Amino acid sequence: MDLGTDPTPVPTPMSASTSASTSGSEPKPGTAAGSAPRPSAAGARIWTWLALPGTVWMSVIFIASLLLVAALSFGTTDALGDPRFGATLVNWTALTDPAYLTVLLRSLEYALITSLVCLVIAYPVAYAIALHAGRLKNALIAAIVVPFFANYLVRMYGWSVVLSDNGPLLGFLRSIGLAGSHTKILNTGFGVIAGLVYGFVVFMIIPLYAALERMDVSLIEAGRDLYGGPLRTFLSVTVPSTRQGAAAGMVLVFLPAMGDFVSAQFMGGPNQIMIGNLIQDKFFEGQNWPLGSALTMLLMAVLLIGMFGYLRRTRKDEAEATG
Amino acid sequence: MSYQALPRSPRPPLSRRSLLRAGAVGTLGLGLTGCGFMQAQTSASDDTQPPIDVKVDGDLVYFNWADYVDPSVFAGFQKEYGVKVVQSNFDSMEGMVAKLDAGNSYDLIFPSAKYTQRLAQAGRLRRIDHAKLHNADAVFSGYGYFEDPWYDARSAHSVPFTMYKTGIGWRKDRLGNLSGSWQDLWDPGASGTAFLLDDEDEALGMAALKLGIDLNTSQKADLDRITTLLKNLRPHLRGFSSDDYNNLLNGNATITQAWSGDMVSVLNQAKDASVYGFEVAREGSPINSDCYAIPSNARHPGTAMLFIDYMLRPANVVKNMQYIGYPMPVHGTESAYAALVGQLPQCVISPSDLKPGLYFRNPATTADAQARDAAWTDVKAG
Amino acid sequence: MNRHPMNGRPPRPRRGRRGAERRPWFAIAVTAVFFVLLYLPIGMVVLFSFNSQKSLTVFKSFSLRWYSAFFHDHVLLSSLGMSLQVSLVAMAGSVVLGVALALGLVRARSRLGSYAGLIMMVPLITPEIVTGVASLLLFKGLGVTLSTGTVMIAEITFSISYVTVILRSRVAALNPEVEEAAMDLGATRWQSLRLVTLPALLPAILASAVLIFALVFDDFVLAYFTTGVDPQPLAVRIYSAIRFGVEPTINAVGSLMLLGSILLIALALAIPRFFGRRGGLDILSGE
Repeated sequence: MDLGTDPTPVPTPMSASTSASTSGSEPKPGTAAGSAPRPSAAGARIWTWLALPGTVWMSVIFIASLLLVAALSFGTTDALGDPRFGATLVNWTALTDPAYLTVLLRSLEYALITSLVCLVIAYPVAYAIALHAGRLKNALIAAIVVPFFANYLVRMYGWSVVLSDNGPLLGFLRSIGLAGSHTKILNTGFGVIAGLVYGFVVFMIIPLYAALERMDVSLIEAGRDLYGGPLRTFLSVTVPSTRQGAAAGMVLVFLPAMGDFVSAQFMGGPNQIMIGNLIQDKFFEGQNWPLGSALTMLLMAVLLIGMFGYLRRTRKDEAEATG
Repeated sequence: MSYQALPRSPRPPLSRRSLLRAGAVGTLGLGLTGCGFMQAQTSASDDTQPPIDVKVDGDLVYFNWADYVDPSVFAGFQKEYGVKVVQSNFDSMEGMVAKLDAGNSYDLIFPSAKYTQRLAQAGRLRRIDHAKLHNADAVFSGYGYFEDPWYDARSAHSVPFTMYKTGIGWRKDRLGNLSGSWQDLWDPGASGTAFLLDDEDEALGMAALKLGIDLNTSQKADLDRITTLLKNLRPHLRGFSSDDYNNLLNGNATITQAWSGDMVSVLNQAKDASVYGFEVAREGSPINSDCYAIPSNARHPGTAMLFIDYMLRPANVVKNMQYIGYPMPVHGTESAYAALVGQLPQCVISPSDLKPGLYFRNPATTADAQARDAAWTDVKAG
Repeated sequence: MNRHPMNGRPPRPRRGRRGAERRPWFAIAVTAVFFVLLYLPIGMVVLFSFNSQKSLTVFKSFSLRWYSAFFHDHVLLSSLGMSLQVSLVAMAGSVVLGVALALGLVRARSRLGSYAGLIMMVPLITPEIVTGVASLLLFKGLGVTLSTGTVMIAEITFSISYVTVILRSRVAALNPEVEEAAMDLGATRWQSLRLVTLPALLPAILASAVLIFALVFDDFVLAYFTTGVDPQPLAVRIYSAIRFGVEPTINAVGSLMLLGSILLIALALAIPRFFGRRGGLDILSGE
């Protein structure tokens, strides 16, 4: 399905006047709005009305509830351990404990590595399917999406079985001499990253595939005439035209990887705890919802900063593209 | 089919008005002002409610760990009484309480001893008149401890359901015989393949017992010693995991802290069961039990009583023990359980094993609970 | 689960049409390995769902006992029914709201548009567990008793953004002049929307509907926090069971969900053909 095949799946920043500029292929709203005669103002208002229910819904339910979490991060627990709203910074100062920082940095590291590994794996796959699979193309993409639609937990559980010491993967690697009898994948950082990659690689393949599929193949031919070697053609023609797809994929993989707790739970060891696990502990099991809320806000802040960076980047790219 | 007793405090519902106010404040972006706060509800006192009329008064809304009752036992109940069992599962005690707090009305829940105490003290449980249960005698006469357990005076709001202790499960073929101490978790031969349960009470409790300090301590000095000890164990660990029996079965663990009842699953599912051992440490082994309890907002307490009575029938107890692997304190079913654990007699729980001092208890104050929680986070996050 | 369509040998690309005449053997090899690893875990789940023994490590012999156990387990079946209900309602609700929002976002030149564009992004970066906790706090605060309804509301909230993101670029790519032409011909704004705009967006709408259905069906975190005493959605039930070790019945459930997923995708592939746009996989290729 369309898992964010839009090259900029997380929308580009809205300019103050219009939020329409998303893809380069659309008619430039500025020109259309400037010159073409507009329908009556009353007619145009319909769009505002259309946006209203969704906006109200999101504001009332989503944003308000998030603000509740934010408010709770300044709260305390009472004598019985029940969360109370308050105005204390205790939870935030608790976060200065280096242990939390370690976990946060580790999560960033894992999520980044996961995005990169996904890119490295997904690129050849998307390339082979988009440009060399002929009629099988659609079937292959569907075959990639099918497991993604099966239950995430069951998939991750199955993956942990595959990666386990007596599992088929290590068995195979041992038989061809690539792994020793003591090599293990499960309960290592490698295992957690393998879990994250398995969980989210489809988010990378789809946008890359869309970008490659959309690419004008005659460009490759022209590139070959121009540059000669396939490698140089690839680097100077194919890669640039898939940059947006790759960037979108990176974001789509990075975000869920950063918040994930299942992979570290199934595939991690004592040194692989991620921030999602800590948050989950505080809410599902711990009795410290205020501290959990503060951790959550910290994670959100990191993600928002990352997001902001990404948006600035895409905006710059777009600006460059349009001159 | 494993079990986990989680050390947490109940979270009575947030007061609606205060939350609304806080929500409004939050919405305005003024979350800092700290005006509203969540308050414990004023609970209906259990004593004001009339005794439960033991008769079918509707379908049974049941709330328990997943796979903790044999489906055929459910089927038998539904057939016999002509009611449906509406089943929900929780995956932690905390989650259970959160659902109760959210106002969900269940007819029958299965809190651990620790949570039974909290819920009973908060007035969240109905009184259960044991005289109205035909099969209760086998419980209370056979296991006198439950006549007046620490967590619920005279078991006034509960009936014990299952029991278990925490010990060490290991691979005899890899490690040979062990020494019968928690020190075995440090066995050099198991370095890199040892697991601790992913459970605050169990992990801190193990270290406390090994150090010879109070199982439920929340003293800073004690907790410091505990975290130091656990951090010393950490490099040997492969992970924190509550999936103890699968870790043993799939070969990822050669040794793991384990719940006694889970060893039955190991025995039943292993290719060669003889390579597995289970021991309780001489420094002491935590003991625990779960209860049947009826929340004060239950809509069909009569059906719940009937269900408890039905579950206590020895034939059903045996069926259930075979299904979940955990023993139940019902006199007359001991031999069936002993047969079930066969080669691992240490899994058997005798009445003399039930000592209040080896139960996980509720910390006295929030600060105590949070000190323990912080110590656990410290261990886990490294 | 031995679907392994690649087999290391894709069909020969048609020369000339697809330009790149040299086979990228490296990419093809990676793809082959990728498919093996993609399906291996699922293969294990499916394999052990047919195990005659209650073991996840030792395969004894073929048996359908876990499937039979599933189909006789009224709890799991009612959970399945609940999941289907929740997914369908969430799908319908979020598609209606999301499509309207996407249209509004792209076309409205008002402050509301920029505000909506901003808040719509937030769910996309919010970890699920946060959404879950936040929803629970909110429902408690409003004094709403948790029920299937609260799950549906939470799931709709979580899904709107996805629909909007998918639809947004499609809406932007539409040529407004076509609608305006329709209006010049006497259509009202609503008519042109209904007769011109929506049909053009149909493949994207269907794609987002399928995606939302699958996401909601699969979601356990949000549902975990917001379910009441009604039967729990299937994914929640799986989560409760999986934390302490998997039951073979869960393998059977997982395998059936995979089957459902295959059917769903097949359906999604089939639908656009009925509507005759480029045929095949517009929705997969993303326009």
